[in-house]
Amino acid sequence: MDGAAANGGIETEVNGAQAVLEVLVREGVDTMFGYPGGAIMPLYDALYEHRVRHILMRHEAAAAFAAAGYARTTGRVGVCCATSGPGATNLVTGLLDAMMDSVPLVAITGQVRRELMGTDGFQEADICAITQSATKWNVCITDPRDLASTLAEAFAIARGGRPGPVLVDIPNDVFKAEVEANRPQWVFPATLKPRADDNAIRAAVALIRSARRPVAIIGGGVRNGNAVEEYRKFVAMLGLPHAQTINALGAGAPGDPHDLGMLGMHGTKAANKAVQHADVLLALGMRFDDRVTGRPDRFARDAKVIHADIDPTEFGKIISADVALHGDLTTTLRALNEALSAGHVPRFDDWAVEAHLLAGPPPSDRVEPGILSATDLLDRFFAAIPDDAIVTTDVGQHQMWAAQRARPRHPRDYSTSAGLGAMGFGFPAAIGAAFAHPTRPVFAIVGDGGFQMCLPELATLHRYGVPVKIVLVDNRNLGMVRQWQELFFSERYSATNLSDNPDFAAIADAYKIRSYSLDDPNTADDVLARFIATPGPALLHCHCHPTENVWPIIPAGQTIDEVMEAKA
Amino acid sequence: MTCTVTLRDPRSVARIVNLAHRFTCRAVRIDATDDGRGTNAHFAFEGPPRSLERLRMQIDRVIAAEGAA
Repeated sequence: MDGAAANGGIETEVNGAQAVLEVLVREGVDTMFGYPGGAIMPLYDALYEHRVRHILMRHEAAAAFAAAGYARTTGRVGVCCATSGPGATNLVTGLLDAMMDSVPLVAITGQVRRELMGTDGFQEADICAITQSATKWNVCITDPRDLASTLAEAFAIARGGRPGPVLVDIPNDVFKAEVEANRPQWVFPATLKPRADDNAIRAAVALIRSARRPVAIIGGGVRNGNAVEEYRKFVAMLGLPHAQTINALGAGAPGDPHDLGMLGMHGTKAANKAVQHADVLLALGMRFDDRVTGRPDRFARDAKVIHADIDPTEFGKIISADVALHGDLTTTLRALNEALSAGHVPRFDDWAVEAHLLAGPPPSDRVEPGILSATDLLDRFFAAIPDDAIVTTDVGQHQMWAAQRARPRHPRDYSTSAGLGAMGFGFPAAIGAAFAHPTRPVFAIVGDGGFQMCLPELATLHRYGVPVKIVLVDNRNLGMVRQWQELFFSERYSATNLSDNPDFAAIADAYKIRSYSLDDPNTADDVLARFIATPGPALLHCHCHPTENVWPIIPAGQTIDEVMEAKA
Repeated sequence: MTCTVTLRDPRSVARIVNLAHRFTCRAVRIDATDDGRGTNAHFAFEGPPRSLERLRMQIDRVIAAEGAA
């Protein structure tokens, strides 16, 4: 044994499945989300009355999203499991979602017995090949002696560096095999966090001191790197105008007057304009997604760019960096704060005021009196929910309307499928978040399209009594696609009409979930108040205007200052 | 572009070749030997300069993920 030290061992005779659970306990896992099936039955047998709590979801995709909701809101590794073949393939979307948004996840899949692998056995899938590009790492454990060490390694990789998903595939007979008692366990040393080079820090500080119109934009790295406190110190010290990507909503201190809000395709005019006028751009823990930059060749074209990230492959991927700060974001920001405060500390308040001149509520369509407007509803919703609420959203128009209005206290209080944009994420992610935070109010904002991709999870809510409140923004359309068809495809509404939606309140009732229906804007505040105060799970079915659009919008491929605020 | 890398997981050779094709590059030479401790692989790729640049970064990411533990 080299490098990694032996430290203790499994104390009693166990089979492979029991060894798996012992590793989970050692890794601090208290909850996992999954769905059983043939190949993974030995693990479920070991789970019977085990202290690791297993939450039975109603679809494997929801198990992956629930694990992601757990991980995104806690920072801990989320765990999900599924059987071989279709069970494993149903996890794939959730894995890729976690990959895109750097969420630490470990997925355990059953596999057919080793002697059947490669024979097209019943429910056999080469899930490692399938998930090669959807995971940070994956492995099929074919030697029972490797179970504990490889699983521990999976956790280390999932949470190390830039976090991400890892899939561990375990054949049925490996679960059943006896594992040598007291076998020494590999203990992986804590991953060293890279620290930005001192020269690069000095160069960044010099650029900041020479700047006249600097802007900071912060991304999901602020959440993954637990950098909120240092970030707030940094922008406050400089009086710096700053904006967030959707994964960093809540990074700014509550009430910070220099916070310009979200930038990008549906971001605020203030944030997008400020970035275009910046002479120094501090891009912190963000990856210049095309939904953020618009045309990259014309993004922040007058700015020198300081780019801080834990993943060096992000430097120059989309936007060239004048100064690259490779390191853990907390450490990088702390170094910047220390270096700046050791000398002249510039203040940018005048520029911040100028940048803020364009701030204001997002434009919205005028909706006929008496018809519920989704934007008005969400304004009222965010004004009504408690400060400690956790909010997840699904994907589509409601996702953007919510992002424009949400004021979370912390990025971990707001979760959405940002990079992948996976419909069906919001509701199960809220279930995962609720299991992680049983005393906090959890809301899922969903659309009528995405909600129908995960309706069976109402059974999960009912079984466990999880107090998730679902706000269903039902406009009887696949709204975002419909909006693009209206604006960019000559109003040819192909396959977006959902006017034959079911009665969602009746569906909730069938699952024994309390439901409310809202279609009169005059009663919105009252119904919202009763809904929010409902003990346990509840559904609020909002019958919204069918053609309200998301504004502003920057058409794909345009520069981020070519903003549309209404239909031409 | 050529690159010589040591990979902990021999499957990463296939992953790198797949990445090359995803970025509109072509693997024109692949040599790989596994000595039991790792896979030593030498690649030669052709493609547009920007694509080769992105490919190189993704290869670095694969190697970094292998070493993350």
